[in-house]
Amino acid sequence: MKYAIEVRGLVKSFGEVRALDGVDLGAAPGTVLGLLGPNGAGKTTAVRVLSTLSVPDAGSARVLGLDVVRDAAKVRERLGLTGQYAGVDAGLSGAQNLVLIARLLGASRAQAKARAHELIERFDLAHAAARPAGGYSGGMRRRLDLAASIVRRPDVLVLDEPTTGLDPTSRSGLWEVVRELVAEGTTVLLTTQYLEEADQLADSIAVIDSGRVIASGTPSQLKQAVGGLVLRMRPARPEALQQLAELADWTVGAAPRIENDEVAVPVAHPGEATAVMARVVQAGTDLAAFGLHEPTLDEVFLSLTGHRTEQKEEVAA
Amino acid sequence: MTTATSTAATTWTTTRGPLAQAASMTARSLASIRHQPAQLVDYLMIPMMILLSITFFMGGQMMGSWQAFLDYAGPTLIAMGLFFAIVSTGLGLFADIKTGVFDRLTAMPVSRFALLAGRVAADMIKHLWALLIVGGVAFAIGYRADGGVLGVAGAAAAVMLFLFASSWSMALVGLTAKSEEQIQTWMVSLLMPLAYTSTMFVEIETLPGPVQWWARVNPLTALADTMRVLLAGETPGGEALALLGWCAAILAVFVPLSLRAYRRKLTS
Repeated sequence: MKYAIEVRGLVKSFGEVRALDGVDLGAAPGTVLGLLGPNGAGKTTAVRVLSTLSVPDAGSARVLGLDVVRDAAKVRERLGLTGQYAGVDAGLSGAQNLVLIARLLGASRAQAKARAHELIERFDLAHAAARPAGGYSGGMRRRLDLAASIVRRPDVLVLDEPTTGLDPTSRSGLWEVVRELVAEGTTVLLTTQYLEEADQLADSIAVIDSGRVIASGTPSQLKQAVGGLVLRMRPARPEALQQLAELADWTVGAAPRIENDEVAVPVAHPGEATAVMARVVQAGTDLAAFGLHEPTLDEVFLSLTGHRTEQKEEVAA
Repeated sequence: MTTATSTAATTWTTTRGPLAQAASMTARSLASIRHQPAQLVDYLMIPMMILLSITFFMGGQMMGSWQAFLDYAGPTLIAMGLFFAIVSTGLGLFADIKTGVFDRLTAMPVSRFALLAGRVAADMIKHLWALLIVGGVAFAIGYRADGGVLGVAGAAAAVMLFLFASSWSMALVGLTAKSEEQIQTWMVSLLMPLAYTSTMFVEIETLPGPVQWWARVNPLTALADTMRVLLAGETPGGEALALLGWCAAILAVFVPLSLRAYRRKLTS
């Protein structure tokens, strides 16, 4: 089996709206596929088709070689879903939520309790395990939600915008858990609006807009296509501009530009920026300001489609 | 976040059938009572207020004294109040679906029947709780059954059976409604006329001519008549058969329709 997730020519319409308009995707086993796009691009529809919650109009979707329509029951056995709206029961405590899922999946009472306890510890929810999930913070809810989708460790995990609305600490905590799961062999499909998130987690990225995949590749391929990272440095003394540019050119050879009072150095990865900075420190040049700038999703879109991301309502299934 | 790796076995070999899954869903519905005890009051208020207000405020005019009215209509008024409360099955399912909990459950290898039946079964337990409380109140204000404990138990069983069947119609409403208001409207436009054109608390002869025919076949008449026969300590006959027939018919229609609506709603 080449792909754990394989989507071919997927089409799904809701009335007049073609939410998916011939989408192709592939994720090798044990890798993370990032589905990157703005609101309304069709990400959630793709997630719903893959997790057997929506039947496509045309095309096919396979999870671990199983067709999501014909073999839906078998797909459900092996897939975990963390939807965009936290699928936890607000009326139950965190622990009760996990016990319920385990019981529904066939665990005995004792097994269910043990597994719930283990997940509560792992997801740092012990202090709130007995409280109703309805009172959880956004980050806690997402963690519980993710825990619920791995109660029985899935071979394929689908995460629909898992960190939207989370603070940076909760976000990196969640990323850590996703990395652990991938290390254990889980294949992950992740939708996101954040280029940084796709970059952090995904082995390959598909950029989706208006129901079509408009670009795909590894994060670095994609970044090269849109200009990649830029290191910006502003020297304390303007006379040092030329010297900074030469230092950067000498270190990474990426044709630095002098823009106003700054030097802009295109770099392939953060390591190159560090190398330039080390050089600058070594040369003893004082900097007033510096920063590493990633292309934003908006810039990716502008570069790939020629138009900015439009804020459309996500099509509800 | 800790990085402890998984130690517990997470492939459970036991397969639990739809009924065991439904039991888990029932437990889930009941567990939320602990965190939101107010919902028990919701289930209780409709039957309680209907019993007390109609008995005290209207009973006297209908039968000369409220005591006489309580003897005639007390138990069936309780049944009617519980019948109106089945709307909570629709509201509960509607809320479940809206929150995204059912998205997760639907994407899991869990029987669809179990997901719906769990909700219905939990509601039955809440209705039973309300029946015991309101029944106790009726006893406290002076209701006595000639049929004794057995008669009361039989009548209670008849009510619970009918509530179980008719709750499935509210499951369908909850799965197809577009808003909570719509579900409430169903109660007013369907459940109320059904109850008021039965022998729940009026005698059939007092109804307008054309309605009398309907009142004779109305499932709630079958329920009311069965309850009266049992409470009087008599042996049930045709009315009990009519009730059983109605319950079977309601289940045969609404269980499949609810399952179909579930599929349409959650796997469209």
